[in-house]
Amino acid sequence: MSLMKIKKILFTGIIFMGCFHFSISQNLLEILENEQKDTLGYITPAFKMTRITFGHSTEVRSKNILEVFVANRFWDLPSEQSQSFGADRMSTRFALEYGISDRLSFGVGATTFDRLWDSYLKYNLVTQKKGEKATPFNITLLQSGSYNSSSRPYSLVVNDFSGRLSFTTQLLISRKISSDFSFQISPTFIHRGFAASEADDQNFFAMGFGARYKIGPHLSIVSEYYKTFNPIKSFDTYGPFALGVNWEVGDVLLQFMLTNTRNMVEDTFITQTRNNFNFRNPNLNFGFNATYVIHFSNRLKKK
Amino acid sequence: MRMNKFLLTLLLIINFGFNEKPEQVISRQGKVSFFSYTSVENIKAENNQALSIINLEDGSIAVSMLMNTFVFEKALMKEHFNESYIESDIYPKATFEGRILKFDSSIKGEQTRIIKGTLLMHGVSNELEIKSKIENNDGKYILSGTFETLVKDYNINIPPLLAGNIAKSIEVNFKFEYEPYEN
Repeated sequence: MSLMKIKKILFTGIIFMGCFHFSISQNLLEILENEQKDTLGYITPAFKMTRITFGHSTEVRSKNILEVFVANRFWDLPSEQSQSFGADRMSTRFALEYGISDRLSFGVGATTFDRLWDSYLKYNLVTQKKGEKATPFNITLLQSGSYNSSSRPYSLVVNDFSGRLSFTTQLLISRKISSDFSFQISPTFIHRGFAASEADDQNFFAMGFGARYKIGPHLSIVSEYYKTFNPIKSFDTYGPFALGVNWEVGDVLLQFMLTNTRNMVEDTFITQTRNNFNFRNPNLNFGFNATYVIHFSNRLKKK
Repeated sequence: MRMNKFLLTLLLIINFGFNEKPEQVISRQGKVSFFSYTSVENIKAENNQALSIINLEDGSIAVSMLMNTFVFEKALMKEHFNESYIESDIYPKATFEGRILKFDSSIKGEQTRIIKGTLLMHGVSNELEIKSKIENNDGKYILSGTFETLVKDYNINIPPLLAGNIAKSIEVNFKFEYEPYEN
């Protein structure tokens, strides 16, 4: 009797084994599924452009890429009647940014309206990754300096070179939360070479908030805001705010925005935005950033 | 009783027949590249980490690759490719599953065969027939070939402004070198 039982068990066991092996040999894709290792863990960058709107994003350009950057701001004067073509005033910042390595880039720029020359180094410390070596954030350091070249910047200050210099240090931290939504916070320290009044600080602490929401394959909505914790006291300032649309195609990246700041260099727009965001003149600025990206190296030839 | 014994032996034989692992060969560093030729711009990308497996008994074949491992001539192109075109955050892989028709693993040297199967990319499946060359150098198999596929078949959105920069038909080249698969 027991022998029969053993036989029965053996019998069924063998049948099962056969079935099992047979089913394994069936699905080749499942085998590949187990073999596939995402060693890169690459995810698409949180921000495609090096700027969210007016402020820097965590994104840096790769090695041997030159970015030609032109930013314009247009605004109207409060007078009722104006016969200007398009807008009463405009400011343009022209800048070049070059990727020294895949993580480090260097930029120089000049702005027409406030006559600032600026330069910066931007270093991408950590890149967000998924998979085995997952990193939750992008972290980028920014050190920028600006030189105010206007003929009489402030009548109160001694007119020397160091008095015209300002420095901005930023720690940019961003995360791509979903495939559509990215968020950034930017703790900022600013040192200004001069103070317009005795009451004003020369060192400022600020916090920036920025976000990007992808609404189409090439289209995204962006917004940015900076809060200064110890604002200038001798005149009223407001946090710079922008709401914009990015159009990201090919080698040309375009940004259109509505903002209350007409300055385009960190130390000025963060601490010295004199208008709040509303739809009245001269508070409302229309902004337009155009980036043209030139690649000087072929990634395929490197190997 | 005798009948039972006979059945058991028969089953055992059949079982061992099945148990003998079907001979499979795998390629872990397959090369897949694609080209888009237009008068405005040529776009080229390469992937050197494509996976493929062939069952030598019945000629069934599978290919799987991660879209984010493609390397482009232009660094920014990789970002556009992954974010705006192929959407690799949502569709990380492209897979192919099919059969090499009239495949005979015992033939030494070269044989040209049609591979028929389904390519799944960007969430869209398409039936393909690919002419390919199979080399057998003493059990070391090399599979290579070229085919063309249409961008619009995979529901990939090209903005009208860039219609001139990206070809409607993309040329795909592949080369896989296989080694015996043991799991």
